[in-house]
Amino acid sequence: AGITFPERTKLKFMEKVPAVPKVKREPRQLRDIRGPSHEATEFTQGQYGILALGGGYLHWGHFEMIRLTIGRSMDPKTMFAIWRVPAPYKPVTRKSLGHRMGGGKGPIDHYVTAVKSGRLVVEVGGRCEFGEVKPFLTQVARKLPFPAVPISRDGLQQMRQEEEEKKLNNQNPWTFERVVTANMLGIRKYLSPYDLRLKGRYWGKFYLKHRV
Amino acid sequence: APALSAARLPLSTGWLPALQFVRRGSKAVTRHWKAMHFQRQKLMAVTEYVAPRPAVPPRCLTPRKERVEEEDNGYARLLRRQVEEVFRDNRMIAVCQYNSMPGEDMVLMRHYLRKHNIEVKFVLNEIVRPVLSQSKYKNLLPLFVARNILLVSPELKAKEMLRVLKGMPQINLLGACIDNTILSRQGVENLAKLPSLEVSQGQTVGALALLPSQMSSLLQRGSAHLTALLDEHIRRLQARETGSPAEPAPAQSSGTH
Repeated sequence: AGITFPERTKLKFMEKVPAVPKVKREPRQLRDIRGPSHEATEFTQGQYGILALGGGYLHWGHFEMIRLTIGRSMDPKTMFAIWRVPAPYKPVTRKSLGHRMGGGKGPIDHYVTAVKSGRLVVEVGGRCEFGEVKPFLTQVARKLPFPAVPISRDGLQQMRQEEEEKKLNNQNPWTFERVVTANMLGIRKYLSPYDLRLKGRYWGKFYLKHRV
Repeated sequence: APALSAARLPLSTGWLPALQFVRRGSKAVTRHWKAMHFQRQKLMAVTEYVAPRPAVPPRCLTPRKERVEEEDNGYARLLRRQVEEVFRDNRMIAVCQYNSMPGEDMVLMRHYLRKHNIEVKFVLNEIVRPVLSQSKYKNLLPLFVARNILLVSPELKAKEMLRVLKGMPQINLLGACIDNTILSRQGVENLAKLPSLEVSQGQTVGALALLPSQMSSLLQRGSAHLTALLDEHIRRLQARETGSPAEPAPAQSSGTH
């Protein structure tokens, strides 16, 4: 019902290194891992997908694992899969083993893609049920460097709804947001300015699911 | 966490910022779980989610459980069927209390009993109780408490069974159902003291046949007497014919007559 199949049903091959490799080495910028994601949070073409519940970097090995596992377990005639993350673009430097600190920044070792929590990694769709798709998606989700779960459109909606309900029917009169925005007890001395935005649900790259 | 280092604003132009972040510890985003400042930990503990409690606890709202967990295990059904068969097939069923016995003694006992065609069966109370309560053996229900075994056999060998069980102090006879009659321990002992079936059959036949045999002997007494006298007479005549040596014999016989 209104499902459009893409041209290639199997996942595209992702390059290890972008077509134009970067010359200039980039600073680490771990803020691309921190906090909630604002892109690729909703479903587009597919019905089921893998949702990241934490931040992390995906490198070429992860991409190949995902591509091969999903390619092996799905039926290309009735199902399709699409990437929701770009190919590795961020260069990561590594110093050669056994050297002391100093001597400048190391050369570029490999490329990664940054994934924030709440982002979809792959989407799967077609004439299939969640039960068929769930086994291999859980297999893939377990192998990712951040916690991930397979979900469907309904599942995602339900998750968001539950979150809202929790926020509404929380019996605790003290919430993180309230305390931080009012700077009660001068607690902002021990918190980061990002905590105003993150509201206690994120700590580093981790997403704290059980907090309201 | 950013640490504050107070900087005095110099009196001259130019100024230093009020806050200066000091490089202390690791970055904000780490691979490991970064340890939180204690104040932050306290804040996180205070602002946890508290679920709403329903007015009536769910424990009070569902009394309909009533332990209806039948499950109807296939295995339980099989065991029940076996127990029913046992009760139907065998004439003698004895219930004994079973205390733990050494394995070899158990094997010996089984051997002895099997020689007399008595089988030892281990039964589970929770299977036997419903079977019994539905059948007509309601009075056997109080026997099936704690560990017990059944000794079943199609023949009545109460004597041998008691002899075997006497040698085993760990097995105590509680009761028996023999030929659809429920007997206690005393009843079984009395049954064992009775003579065996053939002997009692022979005794009854003998007792029954005694009267007609007596009657027949009574009726025949007259004619038997007559025939005896006639035989005696014939012998005396023959003796007189043979000669004188035969004379004292008829005199003796007539004397004894």
